[in-house]
Amino acid sequence: MCGILGYSGISDAAPILIDGLKKLEYRGYDSFGIATIGNGIELFKKQGRISSGITRARNLSGTAGIGHTRWATHGVPDDKNAHPHVDCTGTIAIVHNGIIENYQALRRDLTARGHRFSSETDTEVIVHLLEEQYRGDLLEAFQSVIPLLHGSYALLAVAKGDERIVAARQSSPLVVGIGDQAIFAASDMTPLLQYTQNVVYLQDGDIATLVPGRLSVWNQGVPVSREIEKIEWTVEQVKKGGFAHYMLKEIYEQPEVFSDTLRTLRREEVPARILREKAITLVACGTSYHAGMVFKYLAEELCGIPVRVELGSEFKYYPTPTRDLVIGITQSGETADTLAALKQARAYQSPTLAVTNVLGSTITRTADHTLYMGAGPEISVAATKSFIAELAVLLHLVDAMSRGEITRSLDGVNRAMEQVLLSSTERAVDLCCGAAHIFFVGRGPFYAVALEGALKMKEISYIHAEGYAAGEIKHGPFALLSPKTPAVGLCIPGETYPVMVSNLREMKARGVPLIVLGEEGDLDLGELADVFIPLPGGDTVQHIFSATVALQLLAYHTAVRLKREIDTPRNLAKSVTVE
Amino acid sequence: MQAVILAAGEGKRVRPLTRNRPKALIPVANAPILDYPIRALLENGVRDIIVVVGYRQEHVLRHLNRMDLPVSVAVQKKQLGTADALKCARDLIKEDFLVLPGDNYIDGRSIRRVAGEVNAMLVKQHPYPSNFGVVTMEDGNITGITEKPEKTESFTISTGIAALTPDFLDFLDSNDLTDAYNEMIRQGGTLRAIPADDWQDAVYPWDLLQMNRRLLETIPGSIAGTVGRDVVVSGLVQVGKGTTIGPHTVIQGPVIIGEECEIGPHCCIMSGTSIGDRVKIEPFTCVAESILMKDAAAGSHSRIDGAVIGEGSRLADHTTVLSSPTLLEIEGALMKVSFGAVIGDQVHGGPFTVYEGAIVGNNVRINGNIRIRGLSAATDSALVI
Repeated sequence: MCGILGYSGISDAAPILIDGLKKLEYRGYDSFGIATIGNGIELFKKQGRISSGITRARNLSGTAGIGHTRWATHGVPDDKNAHPHVDCTGTIAIVHNGIIENYQALRRDLTARGHRFSSETDTEVIVHLLEEQYRGDLLEAFQSVIPLLHGSYALLAVAKGDERIVAARQSSPLVVGIGDQAIFAASDMTPLLQYTQNVVYLQDGDIATLVPGRLSVWNQGVPVSREIEKIEWTVEQVKKGGFAHYMLKEIYEQPEVFSDTLRTLRREEVPARILREKAITLVACGTSYHAGMVFKYLAEELCGIPVRVELGSEFKYYPTPTRDLVIGITQSGETADTLAALKQARAYQSPTLAVTNVLGSTITRTADHTLYMGAGPEISVAATKSFIAELAVLLHLVDAMSRGEITRSLDGVNRAMEQVLLSSTERAVDLCCGAAHIFFVGRGPFYAVALEGALKMKEISYIHAEGYAAGEIKHGPFALLSPKTPAVGLCIPGETYPVMVSNLREMKARGVPLIVLGEEGDLDLGELADVFIPLPGGDTVQHIFSATVALQLLAYHTAVRLKREIDTPRNLAKSVTVE
Repeated sequence: MQAVILAAGEGKRVRPLTRNRPKALIPVANAPILDYPIRALLENGVRDIIVVVGYRQEHVLRHLNRMDLPVSVAVQKKQLGTADALKCARDLIKEDFLVLPGDNYIDGRSIRRVAGEVNAMLVKQHPYPSNFGVVTMEDGNITGITEKPEKTESFTISTGIAALTPDFLDFLDSNDLTDAYNEMIRQGGTLRAIPADDWQDAVYPWDLLQMNRRLLETIPGSIAGTVGRDVVVSGLVQVGKGTTIGPHTVIQGPVIIGEECEIGPHCCIMSGTSIGDRVKIEPFTCVAESILMKDAAAGSHSRIDGAVIGEGSRLADHTTVLSSPTLLEIEGALMKVSFGAVIGDQVHGGPFTVYEGAIVGNNVRINGNIRIRGLSAATDSALVI
């Protein structure tokens, strides 16, 4: 997964490309490069982050160019594997996001025909194929090469002596921004926002040419028109806004995101067909999977319907046809595994529902219905506000299906989160940042919260954290407990409380340092815990949110203390568009 | 010209309201105090604004991010004083600049007056100068500033708003800006005194009510939301979208009501009242001269007069808040003040409770059927039986 960007206009392309790529860094950041059409193709590429050594890149001449920020899939991250890639003659340059599945066969043929490969990437085959077909018209070359490629791609290419950028898309995101005397193409809108609000989402199979102010699109060789959409995200929304990290900024946006999402959802009726479902299957990955688990507990209890929650990447190994409603949850709308699962569900003629944050993303065109999270752009790789927004959507569904069972609870969620944002996790951080392993335990919906808390801790603090159903601890992990493995327990009033207390006591007896989240004023927990993190009073739904926020803050502050790269943790990228 | 807004301090004297937010973020006429100096600057075309944040900085940043305005931010790690705060912004100051407290109101006209000067400060006549920096003058130039003097001849006080040159940054040796001004004057620098038109500060929480009344006069009247049958509206009234005003409610401006509130039926909202977003006021309740922050709620058959009610606090049915003169011991001195109640965030007030000049801490639970005066319920998270 990578970020790509193209610009053609009246200003120098290089500085615009470099600044834009910085905004795309969350999609990948192990190497970057740009190519402009100046004196021939001018090229700059480099391993590492964009901040370093870019003066030379900025000085490339030309008013049209393409750029790329990489997250390696084929070939290690280094200077020569960085995009753009050029052909043997130095006439054509190309950037690519996606995977060419048949590249090995293509590469063998091309090498046999005398092409010299300068990288280990799958991308480079495309540029050599283009070289063979190029007779002075890049668009024509594209039309002949695209049918040879199998896999996923968003492509941008430029050729010497041509002012156009040619773009193609198949199963990888690509958006075109139409500005005043300028035109852009990018993996997502973040680098475009400061120039234009008018965007066009290209669709699978589209090939397009971009010249300043004009976009022409072909699909299967036929000219097609694609609608211009107005996006309302402002640059301000995507900026860090004085916060030390995007993650902290996004954590603090959560109460507002939650009420905005809920308000938008409440304006429209949930399709009656969904309310009548007798069984539901959710498919998701990572944080979204945890949101699905919370849904399961609440829907089973309040709506009395069986709910399955499956990992996107595993769903394909369950080939039994299902007739359930299948809900796919993905922040980016591009998560490959979740998309594949939804396609599988459609093949079985199951009704499908997408929950996503990105308007016009691939999943919205795959599913029968879409519910938007409305979280705004999320830049931090570790998901926070999108998790809260996913819960807002899913719990709104529970509310609608249970005829208003949790309407009042949802109304109070906003305040519950605000109160947690005022609390301090200082002493809990002291315990966590010295540990090599941390256990997060809970029961019922708080098991899902524990899993999410552990995931956040792993992602950004690099401490090995394990989320466990409290009852399962005795079935193995107990052997790992010692005074050196702190445990975070979610001990919330309600059905799970008494047995959670005894589970925690058992752990305490092994000398495990305990961080316990419970309702404020709970004196028993205050005595039991080494560090007690009080949550504001409320009901189960509100506690799910307040506990989640408390665990996000715990992970964040632990990572800050350990001086981690919070917004771009090592080896991770924001949206996983490969299997 | 640049501007540096100091919004790092807590404002301890406004506790309990500043436990969860700095004073600059307390809403007055439904906008945090910080918004007013920013507006005054924008009115005068000063767009290069630096905000110094510190105490509860995440909340300030979040608020600034919501405004569609690119501001620079400097962080003061420890709140040592105003001069130290200005020092934190030192690297961002490139030219002549204005310095303004983020927790005071100032009008655009006064800013225009001082922004044209070099080394000048806005001053104001005040009937009780001893809570402020008192200014002595000669020929329109300031000869000295004394912070919070016990005895004073002069009734002219410093507003803390000044137009300065970057050279002034060399005088920031102590933690307090007053010392820096005095040092500059001692070394022969001039600091002209410019009278301010309208400047408001709330030293104590009950002062917010007066500030609120004054700022309500600046709001534009506009009514969105749903207004029920036989609602009587007079004067300057603003109602936000999504708000429902039940039938037979009387609203007497100036009044501002936020978004998604539920008010009435049969309520009276009298002049000098600000009601934040998502506030609920149940039938047959009268509210006057008060600030209700967002998510607050008042039960039915209540009278609320002269109250500042924090976020998410809920007063039950049959509550009475009476504005009455009270003696309060503050910082060792006895003060006679008159207000109804200052209630922190997330307070649960039981039914049939009477508040008279009462300070109620954050997260306090009150069982009801009780009379609360003065500081008897002022401790945060107390349970009052």
